Amino acid sequence: MTDKQCWHPDLLRRFVPTPYVFSKWDGRNRLSVESNDLEIALSVRQAGIFHRQSNRAGGLLCKLIRDMAGPVDGSEITIVSDGALRVLYLGRGTILIHDHERSEFLGFIARNVTVQELVSSLTPALLDAYSQQ
Amino acid sequence: MSFLSIDQTDLHHSMELCFAGAACDLRTNSSEVARVLQYLSISTGDTVPSGFKMRVVVDVSSEEAAGEPHFRGLHHVVTASFGRSNVFVFDILRRTLSAGVSAAVARDGRFWKEKLIPITLGVLGSAMGLVPVHCACLELDGDGLLIAGVSGAGKSTLSVALSEDGFNYVSDDWTYISRLGDGIVAHGTSAPVKLLPDAVEHFRSLQRHSLQRSMNGELAYEVDIAEAFGARVERACEPRWLIFLERTLEAGAVLTPMSSAEARRYVNSSVERLPPQLDEAVATREQTIGRVALLPSWRFRYGGTPQFAAKELREFVVHRRQEIYV
Repeated sequence: MTDKQCWHPDLLRRFVPTPYVFSKWDGRNRLSVESNDLEIALSVRQAGIFHRQSNRAGGLLCKLIRDMAGPVDGSEITIVSDGALRVLYLGRGTILIHDHERSEFLGFIARNVTVQELVSSLTPALLDAYSQQ
Repeated sequence: MSFLSIDQTDLHHSMELCFAGAACDLRTNSSEVARVLQYLSISTGDTVPSGFKMRVVVDVSSEEAAGEPHFRGLHHVVTASFGRSNVFVFDILRRTLSAGVSAAVARDGRFWKEKLIPITLGVLGSAMGLVPVHCACLELDGDGLLIAGVSGAGKSTLSVALSEDGFNYVSDDWTYISRLGDGIVAHGTSAPVKLLPDAVEHFRSLQRHSLQRSMNGELAYEVDIAEAFGARVERACEPRWLIFLERTLEAGAVLTPMSSAEARRYVNSSVERLPPQLDEAVATREQTIGRVALLPSWRFRYGGTPQFAAKELREFVVHRRQEIYV
């Protein structure tokens, strides 16, 4: 045992470094995008997803991880919604989370999912779920 | 695309349950889930500071059994899926589990008992003042013994041997610690005891059981300790000592005192790293870990069978208790 804290392996992949960080202002609201994938970070920043979320007052923090270790399976989309939280699954490997109250958009994107699919199909499917309800 | 709106589904089965001292407010649309979880709920009387909510929606049209687990987490949210039809979303800040499951999983008592409840306590525990510590826990006449050690040190085999030697069994691998006044309470769950294949050399009765692939991929016996060994099971106790198990090739047993700083480092090393969004939970956890580290701690180096180690530890406990009472 040493003085240094030794952590378990990051099995949930919570601490994947996200070196690509961009911010964008929309009036007084800030869109912040973090990712471990440059293409994802740039595309999400440019995609205008900010306008899709109904609660714009708090800005929006996006943290999206390109998950090369996750499963690549299925094309079925499932959305689970409970209170402020909505989670979209594409198969098991792509998981997008939107916390409406905390203005956070988080996710893991499986290696077979293109950035185009993320911004033009999956993200709207999750964020537009509010209006569909 | 399927859309599961848990907050708008009629969850007409509602009940208050208790797992490892944590109150659980269950709402579900399934009488099967309510029945299974009510059966597993055990009130220990020592509830942790805050409870959690569990919302379970069952899709009666799906018969998909629990598949391979897949876990991910970011900020305050952790997700677990066991196949396409069985998804679990843990919101740590709001202490809520939202789940959509198949009819097959809804009635699978073993899934809830051995997987879902321990996972839920592990994920949401930090926000409820319940610290999962990688140690076994046994109890003798009201005095609890926490047995820590790295994986493979022999916590589970020693737990079974101690159970056969008069101790009551609380847990063999993960123990959930909460604070109660100035003291601490150790809680077990209904998880099965997990023994590696070579344990059959020490416990012949395991021959009646078959090896299974456990969640971490290891091949192991996963058995109900009461059924397999006739052990008495306690759900909670007050820990008095913390033992760090180390196996040696040399036969014999030696107990040496350990500092609380060493104990604290061990317990810290067994807890999960949490993101900055959960700072409050980290602070609460630190306080509980501090209390655990104040327990009299001993390093127990032994070589020999688990039955031999159990006898040595039994003598240790009896001796220390005599000292306390004197």
